[in-house]
Amino acid sequence: MVNIPTSPADLLPFIISIVTSHTFITIIIFPGMIHLTLVSAFLTWYERKLLARIQLRIGPLYAGGPGGILQPIADGVKLIFKEVILPYKADRTLFTWIPLVLIYLGTLPFAVIPFGQHWVIANLDVGLVFIFATTSVFPSMIIIFAWASNSKYPFIGGLRSLFQQVAYEIPMWISALSVVILAGSLNLVDIVNKQAKIWFIVPAFLSFIVFFICIMAELERLPFDLPEAEPELVAGWFTEASGAIFMAIFLALYLKLYMMSALVTDLFLGGWWGPPFLPQPVWTVLKALVVATAIIIPRGIYPRIRVDMLIRIGWTRLLVIALANVFITVVLVNSGLLARWGL
Amino acid sequence: MVEVALTIPPDVVFIAFATVTLLAAILALQAKELIYGAIALGASFAGIAGMFILLDAPYLAMLQIAIYVGAVVVLILFTIMLVRREEGEEVTEQRERGEGAAGLWIAGLLAVAIAGVAALAGPNLPSTPPGNALPVSQLGPALVTQYPVPLLILAFLLSAALLGAMMLAKVER
Repeated sequence: MVNIPTSPADLLPFIISIVTSHTFITIIIFPGMIHLTLVSAFLTWYERKLLARIQLRIGPLYAGGPGGILQPIADGVKLIFKEVILPYKADRTLFTWIPLVLIYLGTLPFAVIPFGQHWVIANLDVGLVFIFATTSVFPSMIIIFAWASNSKYPFIGGLRSLFQQVAYEIPMWISALSVVILAGSLNLVDIVNKQAKIWFIVPAFLSFIVFFICIMAELERLPFDLPEAEPELVAGWFTEASGAIFMAIFLALYLKLYMMSALVTDLFLGGWWGPPFLPQPVWTVLKALVVATAIIIPRGIYPRIRVDMLIRIGWTRLLVIALANVFITVVLVNSGLLARWGL
Repeated sequence: MVEVALTIPPDVVFIAFATVTLLAAILALQAKELIYGAIALGASFAGIAGMFILLDAPYLAMLQIAIYVGAVVVLILFTIMLVRREEGEEVTEQRERGEGAAGLWIAGLLAVAIAGVAALAGPNLPSTPPGNALPVSQLGPALVTQYPVPLLILAFLLSAALLGAMMLAKVER
């Protein structure tokens, strides 16, 4: 707690005390704004480069830096200066505001995702439920944006996105339940601390598989990218987005990709635990980038699945497996098989 | 490391949440375009979640957002999308005579009822002082040990609703 300065001489120490406070550093620099902006910009370049390599192309090259790594900056400048085209009879307010809400919703979960023992903005007791709450608002924003575009392709894409995200949200959070049972807590810092001896991917392997498939569907990644199926729907629910609006949506989608990767890292891959030659946050970021790679690679390999297959897999297979996992975990925990790892 | 904390009096926060909830609720009823109504309804639900946070029930607040803003609003949006009005069709509103008076009557009755309950039972209501609320990890044991019967009744109710929905969906086919 710092007192508000009364004389000019106190002003500099006051500013320094604010800038060096835990709240400021975590919000502005590390798990917060600067880190998120840099990583999501890096991810756009990384995805293009990775897919190009898979398909025996070269990918971004000319924008400067090694391998054209400055491409995101070039893209950003280009998109900001492009004209924003408002479709005929589109809803102006919603069309311009929803992309900003999407960025907000993509950033909000990082408030509770820990990148290290103390590298977390808010150490909430209900951290996991907080992420559940914020991600569950995504689909309704997408359908509202699709409706506001006043065009057929976005509308169909938005409806598909809604179907898909509602269907896969339930198995996703039920499979996260087995982690909660193993750790005995909804606090993400506690969950990672419990993984000091054994990562939860070992006792909850099936849950990990279900969770991973579900986040692929939540992120609308191939083979589940029906909402933005290019050959049929141009670009799905953001077909009409252009210029800065497109950039906002793009940023929100990559933030969500990074958020889900970091969440998988914290839930199943031991968070910041690793050999101590690297500091904790570096381990978390590295593991999250590995998970992001695993999410991106199928885009270069697999074809898209059909809508009915998608819905059937979600509601009949994944939901059943996720529920079975909860029982398996309860049995594992109560049988004492995991006792030597302190679970 | 120095902590900088801004303290806002809880009354101000309460009034802000209450204003958001009430204004959004009014907007939800009055909006000409149904989509705006649905968004306002979501904002109203979010305001109620804020109330839960003020009452030291963060778990309930998060579930309020997940279930009401996340799921119920999606259902309403689905319905709106299915019954889009035709191109060029005007929105007509049927106003009954004495609508406003009826509204005022109901609001007055509610206010009197709430004031009466508060005056009669207010001092006797069980209250948990701030900071003494049950931690999240003890919610489950409390549900199973202290309130098993309501829990079972709720479980039966939800299963019945689920089975009913499945029956209805089957008849349609």
